Amino acid sequence: RLSHQWSNNDIRHKVAQMVADEVAAANVDLDIKIFGSQSLFKAREQYKPLSRGQLDMTVLPLSYAGGQQPAYNLTLMPGLVKNHDHAARLSASPFMAALEEKMAQDDVMVLVHGYLAGGFAGKDKCITRPEDVQGLQTRAAGKAFEQMLAGAGASIASMASSEIYNAMQTGVLQAVNTSSSSFVSYRIYEQTKCYTPAGDVALWFMYQPLLMNKSTFEGLTEAQQQALRDGAAKAQAYYLEEAKKEDAESVKVFADAGVEIAQMTPEDFAAWRELAKETSYKAFLEEVADGQALLDLALAVE
Amino acid sequence: MDPLLLGAIVAIATIIVLFSGVSVAIGLLIVSAGFLLVFDGARSLELIPEILFGKLDNFALLSIPMFIIMGASIASTRAGADLYEALERWLTRVPGGLVISNLGACALFAAMSGSSPATCAAIGKMGIPEMRKRGYPDGVAAGSIAAGGTLGILIPPSVTMIVYGIATETSIGRLFLAGVVPGLMLVMLFMAWSIYSTWRSGDTSVLSAGSYSWAQKFEILPRVLPFLLIILGVLYAMYGGIATPSETAAVGALLCMMIAMIIYRLWNPRDLWVVLRDSTRESVMILFIIAAAGVFSYMLSSLFITQAIAEWIGTLDVNRWVLMGAVNVFLLIAGFFLPPVAVILMTAPILLPIITTAGFDPIWFAVVLTINMEIGLISPPVGLNLYVINGIAPDISLKTILTGSLPYVACMVLGIVLLCLFPGIATWLPDLVMGPSL
Amino acid sequence: MSGHSSAAAAQTGSNPFLRAVAAISTVAGWCSAAMIVAAVLITCQMIVIRYVLNGSTVWQTEAVIYLMIAATLLGLSYVQRLRGHVNVDLIPLSLPARVRFVLATITSVLTIAIVAVILWYGYEYWHFAWERGWRSDTVWGVKLWIPYLAIPVGFGLLLLQLVADFIALVLGIEKPFGLE
Ligand code: NA
Ligand code: NA
Repeated sequence: RLSHQWSNNDIRHKVAQMVADEVAAANVDLDIKIFGSQSLFKAREQYKPLSRGQLDMTVLPLSYAGGQQPAYNLTLMPGLVKNHDHAARLSASPFMAALEEKMAQDDVMVLVHGYLAGGFAGKDKCITRPEDVQGLQTRAAGKAFEQMLAGAGASIASMASSEIYNAMQTGVLQAVNTSSSSFVSYRIYEQTKCYTPAGDVALWFMYQPLLMNKSTFEGLTEAQQQALRDGAAKAQAYYLEEAKKEDAESVKVFADAGVEIAQMTPEDFAAWRELAKETSYKAFLEEVADGQALLDLALAVE
Repeated sequence: MDPLLLGAIVAIATIIVLFSGVSVAIGLLIVSAGFLLVFDGARSLELIPEILFGKLDNFALLSIPMFIIMGASIASTRAGADLYEALERWLTRVPGGLVISNLGACALFAAMSGSSPATCAAIGKMGIPEMRKRGYPDGVAAGSIAAGGTLGILIPPSVTMIVYGIATETSIGRLFLAGVVPGLMLVMLFMAWSIYSTWRSGDTSVLSAGSYSWAQKFEILPRVLPFLLIILGVLYAMYGGIATPSETAAVGALLCMMIAMIIYRLWNPRDLWVVLRDSTRESVMILFIIAAAGVFSYMLSSLFITQAIAEWIGTLDVNRWVLMGAVNVFLLIAGFFLPPVAVILMTAPILLPIITTAGFDPIWFAVVLTINMEIGLISPPVGLNLYVINGIAPDISLKTILTGSLPYVACMVLGIVLLCLFPGIATWLPDLVMGPSL
Repeated sequence: MSGHSSAAAAQTGSNPFLRAVAAISTVAGWCSAAMIVAAVLITCQMIVIRYVLNGSTVWQTEAVIYLMIAATLLGLSYVQRLRGHVNVDLIPLSLPARVRFVLATITSVLTIAIVAVILWYGYEYWHFAWERGWRSDTVWGVKLWIPYLAIPVGFGLLLLQLVADFIALVLGIEKPFGLE
């Protein structure tokens, strides 16, 4: 049983479907049933049953489980990932190996690695530098981003992603930071003057792997395990390609809707990263005992 | 086992358990636990507390107790009577003036309360004795209030719309707006029927019951002001960029409590406690059903029943209006037995994909669904409004209330037909205010 | 018609155990109502902070959610005492007194059983969160055992009230389904 929160045309569903199809085609007497759109568990309620073996697989933004393993907060940390190829190198690095060790403590393992990117949308103006969010009511995706944006002088408002559209329309919100796919699926472009997408450099990368319960995996036959690994390898390559396309797709949708498109320069990126070091990195290091070691591992990836 | 067959067994088991007299929430938990135990193994029971907690872990649910408090705090003051009296003074010359002003008061009150029983109680406490005193038949007096009270969940704010919005991830602000015009339409239909039936009965003493001077008519107006202030304040907060719909509920609750305490001098801690107690009781009852229905829908999904039914309906090659008719009959029957929130939460995951695939607008469907639920509120065996009327006027028999509200049920069915013919009745206002829907 | 007129409440007679349980449930009901009021005030405070002062609102949403969950779970026993959990009493109404008593016994035992199961696993879940030091994944980072505590406490109180109701039924203090 595989659970996730997305609809059938989301790439994360397609990744899960691909693994399920490959495993089915391998004919190893293993059938993966996919429960999408939170039909089994709510988005943030998936990690606990996964870790206790009540759920077999899930596609999950790992930072959702940051409350159980604070180290996971590094998988949604501003400025840690520069672009999709860098993200792929991170996934294969000692940094990820260290995180996988943490997952093993919860009886969880990774089948498919993958990062998705996102950007900023402003109701009245472009957001590229920290100064731009000063005094704006902002909704951020993720704890570390909230800390960084608060550090930039933004006012943080927390609400469900389904409320964003109305909140921007009525003016409760003036800026939003979320994933490229959410920007499109919630039609945020209708309420936006300027969009800052993930481009050559991007601030917002979220690690969203396909996870599996480790004991369940180890209880499978050798042939079944191999089929899963083969399917996962194929899906991972697809995931990376599609993740890149998704950013471009969101830019097209916003541009078609007549929204101004702004680009973040490497200097802007550096300014955000400096700010993040003072805010979210600092808070992370205070919270996680071996945080510095993990952060160094991540920063060491070229 | 074939999931469809399993689904049929679950349906039968659910009916048996719920009819045993056990409370609805507990009944849903018993059925869910039983099937999970047999088909998913004992370990799945471990998940129940987690799912219960998870279903309640939603900010939008906050608005349910808030919109109930709004109604309850005002209902416990003279405000309901003032509102009702004002309308009555102005409407005496209209045939059936008294029943008309009662329906109007229900509609206005519905704009302040998210709950139907609360609306029913607020207006009924004053309206039913007054109508009987003036010679209206018991059936008309009780039936009009029972039916008028159901508007509480159609005219915004509405607890069922909130639950629907959460279950289907539709915008609550948009859903609220969609209920406005259909709500007014139903009031008109109710009034039209009342005028017709009073006129037909030919009882002239009822027609010209009281007469008021202009001075009396104007003197009462300031007393209606607090209502208008609350309604405008809530609307402004919701659509004026101050707060999201769920947050607005808290503003409304605070405003109503303050108005009740300051203007209507509801100071006595005992009286205040009654307001809080009744609101807490209704809210906890609803929220527990929401949590239990969450476990129930987990069970349906986990045993692949939800998915199998949706697939099965997808393969049926039927006309979309036949499908809509069948859905309506199904909802009507479900509404007879279950409170609105339970129906919405148990059926939305199955119905919504069907509805959208058949090309119906989920916002429009919410209105149709809500009117079906309104009918359920005034039909036995679980008709919350019937119980309220029964509490207000214990000497009117259930049968009299039922026959009295039957014509209003016919009005609601007519309302559903009109909505099917002219979907714009529901979608026009939200599209106008918030732009075309997603 | 059980559970809908505001006068209805569990009968205790002069039985000291039943009266004690009724008192406990009532206190739980006060706590529940107080939490709802607190949620109203915090939400209004949040709107003022954001709209008037244009400040950050970090903890309010989460606090309100946990208050509402706790209000619901702690309120269960009180609402049970007030017979406020809606039911379908069509069949019980139409049964002869004897059969009705048997049916009431069966439904009470089943209800007690399911609530006991939830209490057991609820305690386990709470304990798990406490042992592992789980926190919410927000800036506020609440220790989750605090809000989770409402599960075992709420269902524990509900179980107590249900057992009291069952005793009242067996002793004849309360009529089956509250029907005359
Ligand atoms: Na209403
Ligand atoms: Na009914």
